[in-house]
Amino acid sequence: MQIIDLLAPGRVVADAPAGNKKKLLEQLARLLDDSGNGAWERDILDSLVRREKLGSTGLGGGVAIPHGRSATLDRAVGAFVRLKDAVEFDAVDGKPVDLVFALVVPEHFTDQHLLFLAELAEMFSDAPLCAALRQARDSHALFDALAGWKERNAAA
Amino acid sequence: MPHLDLALLVCAALVALGIVTSLLSLRFGAPLLLVFLGVGLAAGEDGLGGIRFDDAHLVYTICSIALAVVLFDAGFETRWQSYRVAARPALVLATVGVLVTTAVFAYAARLVLGFDWPHALLLGAMVSSTDAAAVFFLLRVGGAVVRDRVRSTLEIESGTNDPMAIFLTTALLSFVATRSEIGGWHLVLEFGREMGLGSVLGLAGGWAIAALLRRLPLERALVPLLATSLALCLFAATNMLGGSGYLAIYLAGLVVGNLRINEGVALRRFQGAFTWLGQIVMFITLGLFATPSEFVGLLGESLVLAAVLVLVARPLAAALCLFPFGFSRDETLLTGWVGLRGAVSLLLAILPLLAGVEHARTMFNVTFEIVFVSLLVQGWTLLPVARRLRQVVPARSGPVERSALDMPGLDGHELVCYRIAEHSPIAAGATLPRWSRPSLVVRRGESMRIREAGPLQVGDLVYLIVTEDRIALLDRIFAATRRPEKSDRQFFGDFALAPDVTLSDIAASYGVAVPLRDSGLTVSEALAREFDSAPTVGDRLRLGKVELIVRDVGNDGRVAEVGLALKP
Repeated sequence: MQIIDLLAPGRVVADAPAGNKKKLLEQLARLLDDSGNGAWERDILDSLVRREKLGSTGLGGGVAIPHGRSATLDRAVGAFVRLKDAVEFDAVDGKPVDLVFALVVPEHFTDQHLLFLAELAEMFSDAPLCAALRQARDSHALFDALAGWKERNAAA
Repeated sequence: MPHLDLALLVCAALVALGIVTSLLSLRFGAPLLLVFLGVGLAAGEDGLGGIRFDDAHLVYTICSIALAVVLFDAGFETRWQSYRVAARPALVLATVGVLVTTAVFAYAARLVLGFDWPHALLLGAMVSSTDAAAVFFLLRVGGAVVRDRVRSTLEIESGTNDPMAIFLTTALLSFVATRSEIGGWHLVLEFGREMGLGSVLGLAGGWAIAALLRRLPLERALVPLLATSLALCLFAATNMLGGSGYLAIYLAGLVVGNLRINEGVALRRFQGAFTWLGQIVMFITLGLFATPSEFVGLLGESLVLAAVLVLVARPLAAALCLFPFGFSRDETLLTGWVGLRGAVSLLLAILPLLAGVEHARTMFNVTFEIVFVSLLVQGWTLLPVARRLRQVVPARSGPVERSALDMPGLDGHELVCYRIAEHSPIAAGATLPRWSRPSLVVRRGESMRIREAGPLQVGDLVYLIVTEDRIALLDRIFAATRRPEKSDRQFFGDFALAPDVTLSDIAASYGVAVPLRDSGLTVSEALAREFDSAPTVGDRLRLGKVELIVRDVGNDGRVAEVGLALKP
């Protein structure tokens, strides 16, 4: 399974307003709820908030990768949001974040969870990708940039 | 016996001369393979040596064996990783690219040399494949490294397009020689059989060789010999069964090189030397065989055709083949430029001579001159062009010396050596993370343990035995001029953790196993316990598939900030 398989065009949002970290996490939980009836939202938000309590998932450079595990889910889901105005996220370099990739996986996804996170961390270390994401015109362009990253940049 | 001794003297002297003159190549940057070719030419009938050597059959035999050895090594040196990055574009280049190059070149050859289509296509097929030895050597010359994607593509292409070019040449040659109609279907079947058998036997054979090497408790020096002789057996057997032996031996090398085997380091060294010998023998023999005085008559035509190949056919093939894979303009340009022709083209050019077809001598001479131009122009300019196109990875400072260890229980470990430089954070008194403590310190020629050495001083040599993935981290401690920044995520981990988080919290978030009695410990307590109450910045504690890293230590000696690295 690849990172891009976690996303769907509907879960990639350009220029979302966020306000603050709490509102951002709520918005992400809504996006990540792939159950079709809102059944997962509560648990997803809990898992994201629980993880943030251990320490910020802000990587620095304006990027954050909030993530969590939840027993309710039956599949891994990802969402990507580019914020209109960057939000304080307690990131390691103190900079507010504007590129946010959120990931939730079912409880039994242990190794796969770590693999996804390692790949996301590598992906968002790539300055050209971050620049492309910041310049992308709309959510379609964002999706294409994310989808094309592996093909273009694998281990380069 | 004097006759034999004379032959031995000449052969050995030529090889030795080739090796010694390779220093010239370092001095002037002249492509090394060209030097070997030059030695052969100089020793030949029109040169200083005046040796007459016209046995096309013998040349062909020697060179095919040498090529098999070179291809085995080309496979051996290619990592799976490269295949993951570049298999598809490379394989398209090796198949479709060969056809495009052949066709475009043949069109020009028809105009310039007045050949008919079959002869023109035959000549095109000969020069259609890139040379594995040349590509591998030149992509790494001078310590500069071409970026991964382009390098992997070129390396895989150069190893896999030879079987394609060889097939194409033989098929066209049999048509030219016998003028018998070849059915399209027959050709497709033939292609399928050669490549199919070659792939299956190569992969299975490689696996079998690796399994055998792993099982047999052999004398260390015999391992590489066994590997090489088995690989050559595979080459010959595949050819006898009607498959492509070249493809088989390349794939066998790929499998053996990527599976863990005993004495892998010894095998690698031997392979290196043996491949050098293969290349030297190949180029010197081909140089000897050629008759440069015949070149003059065809010089103009050859130069035009070389220009067509280098400037039109190859770039066009690269652009067409790489377009679907989203290569950037610069990547495509560089791939197009590194279309080095070499021994394979010359080897194929001997085939028409053996078959005695019309224009055979012309084709050999034209091919020779094209190879010469390609090695000279592309070989010489590769690095500047790659720099210009920004496809060179900037050199990083690293260990003074590193060497893979071939000792029991140390699979995947390397011995690395750093020299403590002036202005390095270590010389200024920075503390060493636990995992980076040297096994040995050498100060003014005297070796000592770190405990005896005390603080490290400028000029000290430090030796460490570490797994390969740690070396990039060690570079930041011993080879950098600044302390690693907090934002250096490879060193300090991707995510931050608060020091008062408990191990059970981490277990819950990441599904890593923590011993029950430790689950109540906080991260900072766990680190303090592990490192005798004195954790230092950069210390790493493994917890299942994640690692906790000390990012900062407070004035009270307690861990103030922790990083989390993922090690799936």
